[in-house]
Amino acid sequence: MRMLALLTRKELHGTFTSPVAYTVATVFLLVLGYTFSLTLFATKVANLTYIFHQMYVLSILLVPVLTMRAFAEERRGDTLELLLTAPVSEIWIVLAKFLASYALILGIYALSTVYAVVLGAYGSPDWGPIYSGYLALALLAALLVAVGVAMSSLTENQVVAASGSLGVFLMLWFADSVGYLLPQPLESLAVGLSLIGHFKPLATGSVFLSDAGYFLSLALLALFLASRRLAER
Amino acid sequence: MARATGPFFSHLANVSEAEPVIVAAGVSKRYGRTAALESFSLEVSRGEVLCLLGPNGSGKTTFLRMLTGFLLPSAGSLRVAGHDVVDEPMAARRRIGYVPESVPMYRHMKVREFLAFMARLRGVPPSAVGAAIDRVVHALSLEDRLNAPIPTLSRGYRQRVALAQALVHDPEVLVLDEPTNGLDPRQIIETRNLIRSLAGRKTILMTSHILAEVQKTADRVAVLLRGRLKGVRSVSSTPDLEEWFLSLA
Repeated sequence: MRMLALLTRKELHGTFTSPVAYTVATVFLLVLGYTFSLTLFATKVANLTYIFHQMYVLSILLVPVLTMRAFAEERRGDTLELLLTAPVSEIWIVLAKFLASYALILGIYALSTVYAVVLGAYGSPDWGPIYSGYLALALLAALLVAVGVAMSSLTENQVVAASGSLGVFLMLWFADSVGYLLPQPLESLAVGLSLIGHFKPLATGSVFLSDAGYFLSLALLALFLASRRLAER
Repeated sequence: MARATGPFFSHLANVSEAEPVIVAAGVSKRYGRTAALESFSLEVSRGEVLCLLGPNGSGKTTFLRMLTGFLLPSAGSLRVAGHDVVDEPMAARRRIGYVPESVPMYRHMKVREFLAFMARLRGVPPSAVGAAIDRVVHALSLEDRLNAPIPTLSRGYRQRVALAQALVHDPEVLVLDEPTNGLDPRQIIETRNLIRSLAGRKTILMTSHILAEVQKTADRVAVLLRGRLKGVRSVSSTPDLEEWFLSLA
């Protein structure tokens, strides 16, 4: 665990000395603030469901930018050779990359709780869907960051890593639409893989373990594949 | 230079003085049908400086990368200080200090941060990191660059910092890929003197494609051509290294 802490600290240090983290956080919060103000003035309804969907879309667009440098930069700068020749397991290296990016996106989400505070101060929101919405976002981010890290482990080109991640996210998002065109049992499989299909119930206050299991199992699978990729020598 | 022995790895030495520290037996590395290295066997004794000599693409770096665990051999076995690099990779890696040819470093760190990170990564306990850094900084005369950001370092200082990170955990084996590549004449002499000062206390495996450099630095030289070991000789018993090399080519 000490090795995981050491590697995660190094990743966070690298993240916060690069302009990428600040740019992503700024864009995310600016767009969200704009949307929140617009929605609140237009509907005058004290709930965050629309904001959660906005955060879902922004996460899909911006997480690839956060994770693209994870391994791509290590490969490009040859520093991966330092990590992989040290007495440290590949899984710690992957987990550290994951935790650093995950902490950053959770930090951005945490800043967005100011909107919930505003709603609480000036209205009477139903807090249940707000709590479950943040749970949905935390689970979504785990999946997105894990897939982003896995994609980054495949290439030394950051643009390729980001494009690949975005491609996977969009395919998962629209998996249910594709599913309706397929025969059984492929239809059930495609619908079962749908990102929005598992996000929407949680974001609107319906908490099912199966939805949480979907995000966590895909995240674990992506992290496992990333560590296998690193173990390929 | 102060003797580079620390308390934190002395208990790990489990190879008798007479046993070779590096043993490669029939090692091959293939990429599809292309063989980068074929049936390579070599032994390096404790305290010896052995140089792999060969042109670019002869398999020198491939061998070093397999020895350090960055690549896995397609066939054969590789042991470092009694530990198989495939079956006991962590034990083998703890005993190696490695400087890759490209001298990679984290650009967002300062020299001290980088050395501290590498020390912890290589298993130096937190309480011993400060002393370990002081030891290598003194040995490599890095005192005035300790707080310098990595991107501001000259090529010569980068090479020194790379050697410092390879020595910071006091390894038994030092693996250096083209350690004088890109250095000016003064820096080459300094690096050579450093390697010679470590000879006898560290087992050093290095690569080079410069005959004169090998002659002045190594105890033995192994010639690699097109992925095959062509011969191994003691430098002191080979007065004309150039003639011998040309006879093998």
